[in-house]
Amino acid sequence: MARFDDSRPEMSAEEFRLLRDHVYSHCGILVHEDMKFVMERRLWPRLEVLGAPDFSAYHRYLRYDANRHVELEAAVESLTTHETYFFREPSQLKAFREELLPILEKRNARTRRLRLWSAGCSSGEEAYTLAMLLKDERRFDDWDVEVYGTDISRRVLAMARRAEYGPSALRATSADLLERFFLPTGHAKVRVRDEVRAMVSFGHHNLLDEAGSQLVAKMDAVFCRNVMIYFDQAARRKVLRILRDRLVPGGYLLLGHSENLLNLGADFELVHLRGDLVYRRPELPGLLGSEPR
Amino acid sequence: MSRQQGSPAEEARYRALQDLDPRGDNLVEVLIAGLHDESWRVRHAAAEGLQRLSTPSSEQVATRLVRVLGERGETGARNAAAEALAGLGLAALGPLVKLLGHVDPDQRKFAADILGQLRRPEAEAPLVEALGDADLNVRVSVSESLGRVGGEHAARALERLLGDSEPLLRLSALEGLANLKRPPPLPVVEALLEDARLRRSAFRVLGLLPEVAATVRLCGGLTSELRSMREAALAALGTQATRVTAEQRGEQDAVIRDTLRRLPDARERLARALESEDVAVRAGALVGVAALGDASLAVPVAEVAREDRLLRDVLSTLGRLGLEGGRALLAAMADLSVPARAAAVEALVDLVDPSSVTPLCALLEWAEDDLRGVVVRALGRTRSPEAASPLVDLLRDSVTAGAATRALGVLAGSCRAAVVATLQEAVERRATPAAVAVLARVGGRPALPLLRRLARDVDPRWRAAAVDVAGEVDGGVGKELARAALADEAAPVRAAGVRAMGRLGGSDAGALLRPALQDEDVFVRRVAVEAVGESGASDRAADLEALVLHPDGALATAAVRALSRLGLVEPRMLREASEHPDPEVVKAVLSAVSGEGLALAVSLLEHSHWDVRAAAARVLGESGGAECLGAVRRALEAETDVLPRQAMADAVARLSRR
Repeated sequence: MARFDDSRPEMSAEEFRLLRDHVYSHCGILVHEDMKFVMERRLWPRLEVLGAPDFSAYHRYLRYDANRHVELEAAVESLTTHETYFFREPSQLKAFREELLPILEKRNARTRRLRLWSAGCSSGEEAYTLAMLLKDERRFDDWDVEVYGTDISRRVLAMARRAEYGPSALRATSADLLERFFLPTGHAKVRVRDEVRAMVSFGHHNLLDEAGSQLVAKMDAVFCRNVMIYFDQAARRKVLRILRDRLVPGGYLLLGHSENLLNLGADFELVHLRGDLVYRRPELPGLLGSEPR
Repeated sequence: MSRQQGSPAEEARYRALQDLDPRGDNLVEVLIAGLHDESWRVRHAAAEGLQRLSTPSSEQVATRLVRVLGERGETGARNAAAEALAGLGLAALGPLVKLLGHVDPDQRKFAADILGQLRRPEAEAPLVEALGDADLNVRVSVSESLGRVGGEHAARALERLLGDSEPLLRLSALEGLANLKRPPPLPVVEALLEDARLRRSAFRVLGLLPEVAATVRLCGGLTSELRSMREAALAALGTQATRVTAEQRGEQDAVIRDTLRRLPDARERLARALESEDVAVRAGALVGVAALGDASLAVPVAEVAREDRLLRDVLSTLGRLGLEGGRALLAAMADLSVPARAAAVEALVDLVDPSSVTPLCALLEWAEDDLRGVVVRALGRTRSPEAASPLVDLLRDSVTAGAATRALGVLAGSCRAAVVATLQEAVERRATPAAVAVLARVGGRPALPLLRRLARDVDPRWRAAAVDVAGEVDGGVGKELARAALADEAAPVRAAGVRAMGRLGGSDAGALLRPALQDEDVFVRRVAVEAVGESGASDRAADLEALVLHPDGALATAAVRALSRLGLVEPRMLREASEHPDPEVVKAVLSAVSGEGLALAVSLLEHSHWDVRAAAARVLGESGGAECLGAVRRALEAETDVLPRQAMADAVARLSRR
């Protein structure tokens, strides 16, 4: 299968479009026109693994091969970078901790239950960060708390479950937090402590999959940061509809700092916190309490 | 705490607007009333609703919205109306152009702003005319909008404004020209650099000029005391690097290098710029690092790859940092972010020497699968015999086997004996069938006895491996093993026999491949179809024709391609296959047409799939005569998709010369 020469095929404009459309129809992830070079580089290793001589052959493989579904997942994994680290965007986390958590504590005082969703969690840093914030708060110590992390990439989920991280993932983590929430494992790596890991569960989920989203419990807050950048406008609308549906009325949606809901309808209301802007699913008309989960 | 609390009543009004019956009475007025709601969400929903109204009434809606723009004191409603107008597109053009003549300058300014947001070429002429407006604020808005709308007239008008006495107008014109990527001549921009208020924008425009004199002026900016100015110059150098030829890039580098070497803190400045929030500044910093060639910046350069768009520049910059840069990257690999590591590993392929084997092997222990493939490639380029053993080990892993195979081929170029010995040892202890293929290719004829032995192995994976590769070493032995493999009980071995038979061909190939075309295993059948085409077994044409309408698109495509290779495509068969629901089959048909099939290509210019239309245009461009020109021209006029348009335009150009 594998070729012996050292040349690598170029991706034509047409091959780029065919592959881009194929990926888009699968998961709504849009590779922009100016990203042909990136797509070419990221998919080269896949061609090498499969012994495909060029990108047309690779496209045919994705269309026809018995293993096409597995390969499509591998292609999507290659195309979506998984750049994340612990305690990313600290001002938003501060606002969440100081302003939203007290509200959620009050709202859920009766059920003493809290559900957070890290949607597009990549290798788990954000989900564990949320668990660490809650742990630090102490006020939820005897609550039923769960942080749920999902991603479309099975590979990064495996990394998330392993919970071992290197210096790059810890570049915004203070020595104090490092001491309290991680254990050294050697090779300049650390592992998230078991009591934090116990608060977090992970699952495989395509954010565009409406049926699959039914498996996600109703959430009090969703962190979906730096994920929308991969979607086009139509896919964003759909994802937002699904996220809205998975939030309890009055639940919060937190996006990345470079993202907003401009031109995406107004299914959410904007909430001005002291330290940040977040979105909220409006309460149901005439019903201010939580709907059943 | 929350200054914008939602309420059930607000939610009810919002839902009511969203659920409006599109056939309902008085819809426009209900939505216009919604524009005046106290809640921004409701106003937004109303604006969206107005944009969705049916086309025949769009111009009336636009006129009505323009009236809302005139409601002073209703800021929320006016902004929502502007949003709706911008979303209406062409329908809003007429009413907005009319509004440009309104007596109230506030209204004229609104009109200019929204026309800019429309970005319609039809707005260019009226906006150019509106540059003569008596009110300065209106003129500035018009100038900004021309920078969005674009066009030749807009650019010329903006260029004229550069000589205006009003600094605001000069600034907006300069920014507009930068947006449109239409720089005025260098002397004009140089004159503007004298004005501190315009300098940053002038730098932007300078970056659009691929001239060394512009580089010199930009490098002047690098020495500025002001960080904002330095960053503007750096960003412009990044832009310029994308617009110069290779020769000009050399000159650009020399000028930048001279400047940076004179700056005592150049390294620190570049390191800071590589971490800038602004992507353009980071791109410029990469140009600076490449020119300076400072290998100590390799790690921050790799980190710029967190921005996908800069991957190409990161790789070329790392490539400029040489072996020393490669060593810096290898030492820091564990500390890099995931995208930076991917870029670093990619760059390392060209930045390794024999001393890199150990750190590359350490990297293999923990790097992600896709990165390991590139690390493997780098190992093959180390020219070190020590790389042979780890590479042969990697043949066992299906993810890295392909890369390891190629890397061993490259490595054999510098240390063949070590590679062969390691492979032989691996095959003798049955480490992995993948080693068989590499051994045969690197080892040649001395490997034949081993291949014969493997072809009788109890494990079908070894039999298949031997059959697959024997023909590359010796045709006779290859055919003998392939023939036996065609009757093997294991499908992978039969497939290997079919493949080998296809490559080796011969007068008996068709007869030998016949059973494989009806094999119980669909994969073997698919391979057999391809093998018939490759071997030239024209006696199997009827079997292939029966498959061109097969519902399995892969099988049908393979059959069309095989028939084409045999030179046995019939126009009737092509016509039938061209109606296959799978566009890949239709494209295979197009690649097979010639002569009388051209009429079919003409008809496929109207196919529902863009890639089929593009393929049809390419076929006509290559093989068609002047008689096809009219049809391709008509298709070009009707085509809206950019890729088939390009193929059709090329075809028209080629056909016009015939």
